[in-house]
Parts: sequence; C-alpha cells; structure tokens
Amino acid sequence: MKISFPYMGTTILYKKLLEILGHEVIMPPRPTRKTFDLGVKYSPEFACFPLKVITGTYIEALEKGAEVLVTSGGHGPCRAGFYHEVHERVLKNIGYDNEIIVFDALKDNFFKVLSSFFKIKANNSFAKVKEAIKTVYKMSYSLDKLEKEVTKRRAYEVTKGEFTTAWRKIKELYDNKVFTSEDVEKVELEAYELLNSIKIKEIPEQEKIRIGIVGEIYVVMEPSVNMEIEETLNSLGVEVERSQYLSEWIEFTLVPSRYSKSHEYEILKKADKWLEIGIGGHAKQSVGFIVDFYDRGFDGIIQLMPFGCLPELVAQSIIPKMSNELGIPVLSLSIDEQIGNANVQTRLEAFLDLVKSIKFEKQNKSNIISLQDIINRNRIANRTKEGIL
Amino acid sequence: MKIGIPRALLYYYYSPFWKTFFEELGIEMVISPKTSKAILDKGIKESVPEICVPIKIFNGHVVTLLEKDVDYVLIPRMVSIKKGEFFCPKFMGLPDIVRHSIPNAEDKILYPQIKTNSDNLAKATDILQLAEPLGLSYSELKSALKKAGKEWARFNKICKKGYLIPEANKLMQEKLVKAAPRSGDITIGLLGYVYNVYDEFVSMNVYKRLQDLNVNLVTFEMIRNKDINKYLKKMPKRLFWTFSNKLMGAGHYLNNNPGIDGIIHLSAFVCGPDSMLGQVLESETQKTKKPFMTVRVDEHTGENHLITRIEAFADMIRNSKKKRRWA
Repeated sequence: MKISFPYMGTTILYKKLLEILGHEVIMPPRPTRKTFDLGVKYSPEFACFPLKVITGTYIEALEKGAEVLVTSGGHGPCRAGFYHEVHERVLKNIGYDNEIIVFDALKDNFFKVLSSFFKIKANNSFAKVKEAIKTVYKMSYSLDKLEKEVTKRRAYEVTKGEFTTAWRKIKELYDNKVFTSEDVEKVELEAYELLNSIKIKEIPEQEKIRIGIVGEIYVVMEPSVNMEIEETLNSLGVEVERSQYLSEWIEFTLVPSRYSKSHEYEILKKADKWLEIGIGGHAKQSVGFIVDFYDRGFDGIIQLMPFGCLPELVAQSIIPKMSNELGIPVLSLSIDEQIGNANVQTRLEAFLDLVKSIKFEKQNKSNIISLQDIINRNRIANRTKEGIL
Repeated sequence: MKIGIPRALLYYYYSPFWKTFFEELGIEMVISPKTSKAILDKGIKESVPEICVPIKIFNGHVVTLLEKDVDYVLIPRMVSIKKGEFFCPKFMGLPDIVRHSIPNAEDKILYPQIKTNSDNLAKATDILQLAEPLGLSYSELKSALKKAGKEWARFNKICKKGYLIPEANKLMQEKLVKAAPRSGDITIGLLGYVYNVYDEFVSMNVYKRLQDLNVNLVTFEMIRNKDINKYLKKMPKRLFWTFSNKLMGAGHYLNNNPGIDGIIHLSAFVCGPDSMLGQVLESETQKTKKPFMTVRVDEHTGENHLITRIEAFADMIRNSKKKRRWA
C-alpha cells in the first residue's frame, strides 16, 4: 500500500518508520506556492492556514500516486483535531476517495487507535514494530540535537550556506544509512564530523544574540511555511532555538506520562502564573517557553501563529504584559497565504535592531533610555504596523 | 457590594441564571449597557487586532464595568458543560485574556471555573468558591444556586416553546406560557451563537429585521435537545465545542425539516469553530437543496449590505414557494 502523510519538520522520520515496516512511501513534496494555492482553493475559507497547506500537500501526494494518507488526530478544543474530518470531505468533493488513517490520542478512542495501528502494522511481527519505533524514536532525538546545533552555529558561518547544505546532507545520511537503532549512533558521529569541519567565526560570548521561537507547532516546525525563519535569523547573525521539536512532541504526546521524561511538564508549570489551564493547541507551551527562554538568558522571542489560530490568540493577548514584566522583547507574526517575504524580513531586521540595542544598553549600563521605554516603543511600532494606532 | 456582569458572550444564554443567583444572595448586580460603538472601541483598544469581534466586545464591556466602580466583574471560565466537549479556547482562556490585557482588572475579576455536564449551571460546584470573595456562606450560595438553576430551567423551557431569548425573558413573569404564535408566511432557521444573534449592535438587529419582513424564526434554543442530539449521534466525529455542536445538530434538523424554507448562518469574522461548522452545513444543505446563506459580521460590517442580503434571501424564498404552488 502506497502511503503518504502531511509534510511537517524532519519528514524523513515518518518515512523511515513506514519504510522499516515495509510500506511503499510516497514522499509528499515540500510545500511551495503551488501547494498553498491548491489548499486555499479547496479548503473552507476561514480554516486555519495549516489545514490549507495540508490539503494542498494531500492533493499533491495523491497526484503522485499515494493510496492511503496517515495523520494524527486530536481531542480539541483546538481545530487541529478536526482536520481529517474536513480533509475527508474536501478530498471527496474533488473526487479522491482515499482512506485517511488517523491516530487519535489513545485515551480518547482506544479501539480506533488500535485498528489504525493494525492497518499500519500490516504483516510485521510485534518485535519488528517495536524495533521500528525504537529506531525512529532514537533518530528523532539525534536529529533534533543536530538541528539545534545547526541553528546555533549557522549564525557564525564563514561561508554562507555551508550549514544549510550540511544539514541537507545529514538528513540524506540518516535516510540512506539508518536501518536499525544501532545505526543511529554511528551516523550521528559522522554527522558531527561534518558539522565540525565547517569553519565558524569566533564571537565573544557577550556579543552573541539568542532568539527563541514559540508558537503553533506546524508553523514553528515547518520551514517552508514560516519562510525559513530560522535560516533568515541565522543569516542575520543570531542563534535560534524553537519551542517545538519532533522528539519533544513524541515524548509528550505519545509516551504515557508515567514513563515520559518530557521537558514540557516543567514548561507547563512555568506558564501557570499566566495561563491557568491548558486551553488546547500549544498556547500554554508558548507562554511557558517564553518564561523558559527568558530564564535561560535569551535576548528576544518570536511568536509564530497561523492567522486566526484560536489558542495562540489567547497567548498573544497575554504576551504584551509578559514582555513588559519580564523585560524581554517579543514579536508576534501571524502567517497565512498572503504573507510576503519582504514584510517578514523587514520586521525581523527591525526587531533584531531593537533586541541588540536593549542587550548592549543593559551591558553598558548607560541608562539614557530605559528598557521600559524601548519595549513600549516596540509595542507602539508593532501596533502601528497591525493598524491599531 | 456590586457585581458587574458584562452584557456579552454567554450573558444572553445565562442571564436569568445569574440574575436569580445574585438576587437570592442580596447582591446588587450591575449589567453593562447594550453594546454601542463606544463600548466596541474600548474593547478594540484593549484587544489584539486579530481576535474575533465577540471577544473585543466582551473586553469593551469589562472596561465599561470597571469604570463604573463595581467591586468585582464576573467572568466565568467556561471549560465544559458536556462530557467530552469543550468551549472555544478563547472562552477557556477568557479570564487570563482579561486580567493580562485590561489594566487594573487583575484583582477585580471573579472567575469560577465551569466544568459540569449539563447546560444548567446549578451543578457547577466551582461557583461555590465565590463564597469567600462575596463574604457569604457555602449554604447560602448552595440554595441560591439551586434556585437559579430552577429559574434557568424554566427559562429554557419557555425558549423551547418557540420564543427567542429576549421574548422568553419578558415572559418569565407569566405562569403559563403558550406556544409562540406563528404569523409569518415563511420560516427561516437562524443559526448563530447567542452573542452574535442577540447582540443588537454586531448583528445589526438581524432577528428583528427578519421578523419585520414577516418571517418566522427558528433558532437552536427552540429546538428540543432530543432532536439536536438525534443528528449529532450519527456523526462519525463530533465537533469539540458544545455550542457549535448544538448549531450543527440544529442545522441538520432544520435541513431535513420540510417546514423550514431556508437557513441563515450568522457568524463572526475569523470564528474558528464556525469555519469548520460552516463547511459542513454548506455541503449538507447542498445535498437537500435547502436555501442557505452565510452572513459574516465584524466591527466593519455595514448595515445596508445586511439589509439587502436578508431581503433578497426572503424574497427568493417567497418566489420559489409561489412557483412551487403554481407548478
């Protein structure tokens, strides 16, 4: 059975899992303008942007010959849990009658998850499935570790583009060389050698700028949707870390809480003061990660969200006060099919100027302009852009 | 002591409940005035630009109440009133939005968590935690809750007899309420959340305008729970949001009811739950060939376009009805 899936983050992980289990994988193409257009054309007008992109991806994958689509479900109250229902209707409307296999959370619909599991398991033995899961689990950790390294070092590369090329090569390495969980370590060593061979500029510690990215999981994790924001920031000479990584998502969502060693529980605790209950999506994580990045000495935060995202809007409402109280600048960017590269680039550059001026003023302790003033100025500038003032 | 209640969001659905509750406790209740441009502008100033207009209006009402020198503003944190279903994330985070985005709101809001399994809030035990800030005892609150629950059930029953919420509120004094008279020549299902349909400012009085056009209206509050649930049970996966599910069930019911001539879906711009609901309703009504129209409102909507559209919709229905009669 030819399987495909939504395109998000390091997609070779899903590919690997399905391949080890002996399925033929139709790799969904990386989302492009064409994908967005297809998605926008067929999705409900006010659906959130990730739904539209995934609609486009599904159509492209089905055109490439996929027979079955695999995706994750959800239990609300964020819209994402209802995606597959809408997708099924949309695809049926344009004449695709393909099956979508959904993995809901185990506790919501045990039997459906079980039946989905057996569809994917096919004729493989349980031992093989276990090995496949173990391999992918290890791989996700290893890849995320490397990616963090890339988005850190890329800020200081001597020749532009070397790390991006290396990162692509690393993903190919994992794709071609990892077949069992033992392979992961060997390949990881190789990957590190590759990264270490790239020349980087020496920058004194106090001049390094670190930016944390928080927000809705899809737009945070998928570079083609957020206009390669990490790469753009790196090219402007700052280190970047995200709130969402695939390994963290697996640890938090799929591993039962009793065995999970997820960092996210701590993060949620940090958000308690601001957002008392979980309200779906990743709003509470976004808020928690802002506190976490602040605690770890980051210099600025960027919040990414799809236009009209329900949970992230709640987080966005809280952010101005957080930014004021913690004294860390935050830029909120909402993303949809109409956003342009130049717009984002300009806003990022302006934001980084602000971050730098705050940082260096703090270091020089010359209190000509207080921190508060700068943040207020930033807020006003932001709001002017959004069209309030 | 004065408690402020914002006339926004679920106020329209639960006003008899809170009214009785605070009357029983002998606490003065200050309800913010009807939504106006001034209130909306206050709300817009304190809200993020992208958020939907009902939340902006709500914020405006909270600001207005705070200016009025109330001791507290009541903002229940609506989490769930049905097992396995929730409210829109914005409702769940509403107290957090208010206390972190409106200046001076932090210590002035009361936000009991509503997590129960019935539309009737009498069993939402978290409301009892209000005892401390209100300076009353648990038992007093308990009996008030019970009384409020009873009143609300009566109100709900009146609605089911075919009355819109403002009409039902007026009929609360009467002992015996007859079924609503139906004088119009066509019947239209008006689907929308209470805070869109009954907020005269944002909906620009759509229900009164329709009534003036000699149209009978059916809203989800008038439809029996049994009928709503009958269609919901057939769905493979329900929506996560209680009121959206009610609209969904009501929509299916109206769609398959030959007595209904058309359906209008009233929705706010960028409403997330409605983006899913609307898509389903639209494809379902296409199957039965029932006239269906979506009216989307926000802070910029002009009145004229709304009037033109609903008049045209009513005319179209009348014409096709006439044609059918002659055919």
